[in-house]
Amino acid sequence: MQALLNTGSTIDEGRLAKGGNKYSDEYTKECAVCWMCAEDFTSLGCPEKVSVTSRDGKHTIAVYSKVTEAMKSGQVFIPRSIWANIVVEPDTFSTGSPRYKGSPVFVEPTNEEVLSAEEVVLKLYMGGE
Amino acid sequence: MVHKNIICPVCGGSCDDVQIDLDTKNRTIDVQNACKMGNAKFQEVVSNHRLLKPTIRENGKVKEVSWDEALEMAADILVNARRPFFFLGSETSCEAQEVGLHIAEYLGGPADSNATICHGPTVMGIQESGMVGATAGQAKNRADMVVYWGVNALESMPRHMSKYGVFPRGYWTKRGRFDRTMVTVDPRVTPTAIASDLHLQLNPNSDYELLSALFTILNGREPHPSVEEITGIPISVMKQTVEMMKESNYVAIYVGLGVSSSYGKHRNIEIALNLVKELNNYTKCNIGALRGHCNVAGFNQLASYLYGYPFGLDFMKGYPRYNPGETTCVDLLREKDVDAAFVMSADLVNHIPADSAKYLAEIPMVCIDIAPCPTTTASDVVLPGVIDAMECDGTFYRLDNVPVYFEPFTDSPFPETKSNEDTLKQLFAKIKARKEA
Ligand code: SF4
Repeated sequence: MQALLNTGSTIDEGRLAKGGNKYSDEYTKECAVCWMCAEDFTSLGCPEKVSVTSRDGKHTIAVYSKVTEAMKSGQVFIPRSIWANIVVEPDTFSTGSPRYKGSPVFVEPTNEEVLSAEEVVLKLYMGGE
Repeated sequence: MVHKNIICPVCGGSCDDVQIDLDTKNRTIDVQNACKMGNAKFQEVVSNHRLLKPTIRENGKVKEVSWDEALEMAADILVNARRPFFFLGSETSCEAQEVGLHIAEYLGGPADSNATICHGPTVMGIQESGMVGATAGQAKNRADMVVYWGVNALESMPRHMSKYGVFPRGYWTKRGRFDRTMVTVDPRVTPTAIASDLHLQLNPNSDYELLSALFTILNGREPHPSVEEITGIPISVMKQTVEMMKESNYVAIYVGLGVSSSYGKHRNIEIALNLVKELNNYTKCNIGALRGHCNVAGFNQLASYLYGYPFGLDFMKGYPRYNPGETTCVDLLREKDVDAAFVMSADLVNHIPADSAKYLAEIPMVCIDIAPCPTTTASDVVLPGVIDAMECDGTFYRLDNVPVYFEPFTDSPFPETKSNEDTLKQLFAKIKARKEA
């Protein structure tokens, strides 16, 4: 399914990030989550986890799914975090600010493991050190 | 011991009414008045995951070292780089950022701050069209209509609505919330939208079109019918919004990353600012950005005052240059245009897109931080940070660009440094010693 990705704060994301708990399970459960509406969730087959892929297909990340009335069909939301930023478009349109809001992404059901923030850095950014 | 009127060093709200009771013996801290986010950071003073020892990475292994060894290695990394990049994060004082800017100038590298990945486009929009601004107090006392555009204030600056925006009783808004109409513009049904009187649930990336349509209506014209499909908002609702604005005594508009990070970027802000100017022909109206990071406004003020540009500075030619898209953090890293990095008080690896973050993790990096996070994991040298407004004094700029001087209620836990400013001064001395040797 193609969707527009929105990212932003949630209060618990803020609480955990500012409290220095980015490597906690609670942070992963709060932030490694893709919010979508019931209609999109059903069309994907009600998966527990989804993989979100950037438009250019270069980056993919597995996150939990969450159904909410806050979203409209064709739009997904991931709290701002390392998981969301894996698929945020790095183009800045000559402003310096990447497209944290409105990046097109592909969302599919997956069985892949959801990585913790530390695992994302070590496996995806530091080549498995 | 109880301390009153402590400044919260977490978001741009810089709340100045926090009360804390620190029990050093039992290592507990009781925090009153701060929000969930603020409280979490105050707990860092006594937390057991606080970084207390400098570390370096050697042959892939992380080991604890003395402050002096860590500073030596940091200086080596920065002096030996051909183009070291300085990311002077916003969760620290202007005083520390100032030293960082001077180091960048001395070494001829680019320097940037959280503004670039936050309200950078907003600042660019202001450069294009100027801004009708006001302090938070003006808006609190006068505004009877409040618009949150592209910002979920309840979750990004949790006390904004209660301290400055919607609920407080002002001089001309004596009944607080009852004297104010609140409108939220957001593609998502956020808690802020739920608390509003009117929610314009626009389609993503259609802020420019919606602002243009409001502008057209304000000028007495009929917007093109296609704007309904593009924005998802009926023209009748747009007309109602404009009428509400014109009938108010004072409209305070707060913009967030929803406007400046969506498609259109600084052009969205530019047209919003022009709409505000036009609205001042009918009523009083001001606009301000809700700045998520604590002292992010401070870097803009400081860099403009010292070097003439608000962010994305490059000292490569010996004088400051500013070219967003070339000299800004995400672009420099995406284009692999720097070969070492210094990151202060910001979890940069967490906050930038994968292409840029991956390169940042590959190059030698020095960071100052208080807790384990992706940036400390990817760094080659980690210097423990001192928490501003809790363990040292200094200056922040609040969201409305008002400078706020803060004083500590306890001391730095490190005998080697009093503040991040102090750490940077020590680093600068080592860098100078190497360069001048
Ligand atoms: S709103 Fe911001 S400044 Fe105020 S207490 Fe919360 S985090 Fe701190």
